[in-house]
Amino acid sequence: MSLNRRGFLGLTSGLAVVTLAGCGSATSASSTPRTGGRLRAAFAGGGAKEVLDPHLANLFVEAARSKAMFDKLADLGGDVSPQPRLAEKWEPNADLTRWRITLRKAVFHDGRPVRAQDVLASYARILDPNRAFRAKSSLALIDLPNSRVVDDLTVEFALKRPFGEFPNALAAFGAYIVPEGAEDFTKPVGSGAFSFVSFEPGRSVLLKRNPEYWEGAPLLDELEFVIANEESARTNALLGGQVEYAHDLTPTTARSHASGDRMTIHRSPNSAVQAFAMKVDRPPFDNRDLREALFLLADRPQLVESVLAGSGQVGNDLFGKGYQHYADLPQRERDLDKAKFLIRKAGAEGLVVKLDTSTAAAGMVEAATVFADQAKGSGLTIEVAQGNKDSYWADTLKNGSLSSFRSGAMPIETHVAQRLLSGSGTNVTKWARPEFDALHEKAVSTSDATARTEAYREMQRVLHTEGGYLMWGFADWIVGAKPNVGGISTAPANTLDWARFDKVWLG
Amino acid sequence: MAGLSLTSYAARRAALGLMQVLAVVTLVFFLVEALPGDAAVALAGDNPDPARIAQIRAAMGLDRPAPERFAQWLVGLPQLDFGESLVSGRPVAQFLSAGIGPTVVLAVLTLVLLVPISVLVGVLAALREGSLLDRALTSVSVALHSIPEFALAVVLIAVFGVQLGWLPPTAVGADVLTEPAVLVLPLVVLLARPICSISRLVRAGMVDALASDYVRHARHLGIGETRVRFAHALPNALSPAVQQVARTTDWLLGGVIVVEAVFVIPGLGTVLVDAVAARDLPVVQGLAVVFAVTTVAVNLVADLVGFRLAPRAEVVA
Amino acid sequence: MKRAGIGGLLIVVPLALALLGPLFVPEQTARSAPFMPLGLLGTDFVGRDTWYQVLAGGQTVVLVALLATAFSYLVGVPYGVVAATARLRLVDEVLMRPLDVLLAVPSLLVLILVAAITGQGLVVLIGIVTLVNFPDVARLSRAAALEIAGRPALEAMRMQGESWWQTSIVYTGRSMLRTLAADLGVRLTGALYLVASASFLGVGVPPDAADWAVMVDRNRGGLFLQPWAVVVPALLIISLSIGLNLVFDRALRKVRT
Repeated sequence: MSLNRRGFLGLTSGLAVVTLAGCGSATSASSTPRTGGRLRAAFAGGGAKEVLDPHLANLFVEAARSKAMFDKLADLGGDVSPQPRLAEKWEPNADLTRWRITLRKAVFHDGRPVRAQDVLASYARILDPNRAFRAKSSLALIDLPNSRVVDDLTVEFALKRPFGEFPNALAAFGAYIVPEGAEDFTKPVGSGAFSFVSFEPGRSVLLKRNPEYWEGAPLLDELEFVIANEESARTNALLGGQVEYAHDLTPTTARSHASGDRMTIHRSPNSAVQAFAMKVDRPPFDNRDLREALFLLADRPQLVESVLAGSGQVGNDLFGKGYQHYADLPQRERDLDKAKFLIRKAGAEGLVVKLDTSTAAAGMVEAATVFADQAKGSGLTIEVAQGNKDSYWADTLKNGSLSSFRSGAMPIETHVAQRLLSGSGTNVTKWARPEFDALHEKAVSTSDATARTEAYREMQRVLHTEGGYLMWGFADWIVGAKPNVGGISTAPANTLDWARFDKVWLG
Repeated sequence: MAGLSLTSYAARRAALGLMQVLAVVTLVFFLVEALPGDAAVALAGDNPDPARIAQIRAAMGLDRPAPERFAQWLVGLPQLDFGESLVSGRPVAQFLSAGIGPTVVLAVLTLVLLVPISVLVGVLAALREGSLLDRALTSVSVALHSIPEFALAVVLIAVFGVQLGWLPPTAVGADVLTEPAVLVLPLVVLLARPICSISRLVRAGMVDALASDYVRHARHLGIGETRVRFAHALPNALSPAVQQVARTTDWLLGGVIVVEAVFVIPGLGTVLVDAVAARDLPVVQGLAVVFAVTTVAVNLVADLVGFRLAPRAEVVA
Repeated sequence: MKRAGIGGLLIVVPLALALLGPLFVPEQTARSAPFMPLGLLGTDFVGRDTWYQVLAGGQTVVLVALLATAFSYLVGVPYGVVAATARLRLVDEVLMRPLDVLLAVPSLLVLILVAAITGQGLVVLIGIVTLVNFPDVARLSRAAALEIAGRPALEAMRMQGESWWQTSIVYTGRSMLRTLAADLGVRLTGALYLVASASFLGVGVPPDAADWAVMVDRNRGGLFLQPWAVVVPALLIISLSIGLNLVFDRALRKVRT
């Protein structure tokens, strides 16, 4: 999930207005589901970048729109584990190299049924060697030539190696099922809960109820996505009655309106991890003691309090708090004396370390300055350097030794595969260890649940002790809605129930 | 102005204008090329897998040398072919036409209000130079001029859009033509600063003109005070202000990024910010052409108007 | 006299805070939650003490605005006057046409592009604000000088054989003072405005810098939770602007009488 929350425009916090009295009427209107109406939802957008091709989806608004119009075979549940969607069930063979998927009976918006051929064609499109779709790396282990259509509702995937977490791949970001041969997405046709009506790039997308939806028709008649890049604009539009749902608000806005009756605040905990990434392959953080010193320097409660305005939880240097396979290890606390000792031991006293950061994601610069303050008096000086927001992620993947980091929700296995293996494409911390790779291999290739859990725990134990990620907090995802809007879930951002509108109603 | 007619002057300026447009486009091309990262890096975002970036780059044709891409783009330009967006593959002309509408509506409405109001304020202050009215007008306009638009917008939205609920707080999802109420607050914000700068120039020019030799001369001749003020002094006083009006027009047409962002008006400024962030060079280039053409045209008109107001001015030059 | 007092006071308070304020900021300051009613003026958007931010934040605003304005005049006025009074039309063209190119690029595009290329920093910001302002100053100076050059008095001087220096620089310069001074006040506040907008656009200054202009932008989210974090720096900027303009006006009246 792209967390380019519109960098420079999206960062600023929203306008807060204390609403006075205003005799409320709609207190219980949202408690009973009812049908009808048009819901307008405000998201940040990407202007030229915005597309309706679900395989190209990158921004939150694109993810939400794709989700409304299309289905994946699986999607992520509240604990970020894969749940069946278009796939009714999946069955691996004994060595986890062949997966038989049974499809649900579903139809595309133009009336054609969703067939096994469509599934294979969609995946073939994503895996096209000449293109660069986001889901490609997740699906790369599929051996397409050897995968086959069994019948209209059954498809069998052959994998290049044993992989027990294959359902994660089916739920990968952007792995949507489109009709076979679909290339033109100016009037997209999917199997989702809403069908396409109109699109004005950079402004709005209008969708209408799909009465034939396999999971039951949505309650809303119409759903309109509008673009408002400024957080304050989304808040104001909501307060002014111009939209009924405003995505991605700041904790300050939430605090300002918590007691008013003009909007209801919905918080999704554990949605985005906030971190600093140390590169373990180069000085100074190739020194394990120095990494531990940094772990001990961080005053996590203070970071959560001032950077996230208290709207989040402290992290324990591990990804995926509350997700499936998360290892609950003892919480790390600030210990200045021990940190000082370790810095001396590492011979790093008086050392100045550059901390790369940028406004590519909300709160990163602030967190960097707070952390630099916390390191004062430890013997190590942290110097904050602000880089270009648009190329930030690519820059910090290659250069520097310490950088700000944040990530949206994904299964822990995906996090490991994309960022922590020798061959990972986005290995910011340069964590490359054969024994760790082997642990991962063991976790994904065994069908023994206990062995798998043990392998995940061991991986996380190593990362917690000497990894390169200092994960200090998990930010809540904040959504505002009119009080008469019901059915909004508080599942973490990026999961199935986040920004899902087919269960939402207008009271 | 011996031998230099208005038409030949205008024709010469238009030719120069063409050169300017080319110069601007070239300048912008190199500036954007000099930006850190390219469209592929920007698109990859927080998933900057080098292999993926390389693929995106190839798919966008970014692996070809920059001069080649620029030349190809230039060739299409005379046929008004602005190329295609790197990121979405849609024609650049589509982006431009989508953004021009709201931008022009805002600019025209602002100017229609701006010119009479600021001339009136400036003249009023000049005629009562040093009076309480003058000082009050001056202080208020200076204060307005130093408040950034976003701060003014925040206050106006809070009071009139949200608290009192008199006006729509944003223009999100609205069609500006069918719901003109959404434009009221943006217009007020857009007017605040130019009214100040232009009225002050008018005031200064008017004070000078009223004290000048030819006005004194006109008064000696017994010409009525009203006529002296408005037929003799005012035109001369307006000449420096014309440049500022031109500048303001240019600013309005160049996309008012802050106002567009705060009020959610998807004009050229929004298109520009998005395109720069995405490193979508063809779109930025197309915008540069639009901006350069409007600037050249606006300045040409301003110089012609200035010449009409104070014809003697061009003699020396 | 009384008016000078007001104008002076309006300048002195922000200027004193800007110049001396940083001396009173403790080395280590406490941090708490954002927009809490702690300390003299509460906390800001990252939980810092607003009062210390006010003390520390004037220097850059004042420095950037003053220096950038000074530079744009230093370059722009002679540039415009030379263009206007040059005997050769070619000189005028050669000087003014490149400016048209610069003017044809919207200032915010310049701001965004140049800042993205050169990175952060006050010098960059000063350079950009100068670059944005200088063509305006040059064009305005040229227009004003042309208007003056058209006056009978100057024609008379020229016919009497006064030197180019006398007519162009001394007489024209003096006569331009009023228009320029009216512009100077506005331009200074304009520079303050540009610095503030730069923060809004994330250009030139770090988003959590101690800087009045940045404070107005970044604290506006908490306007109704903790208004001082916005109001105080905004008032200081406005007070400085009005004060400077009042004092200029007064000085100008003195020159003329």
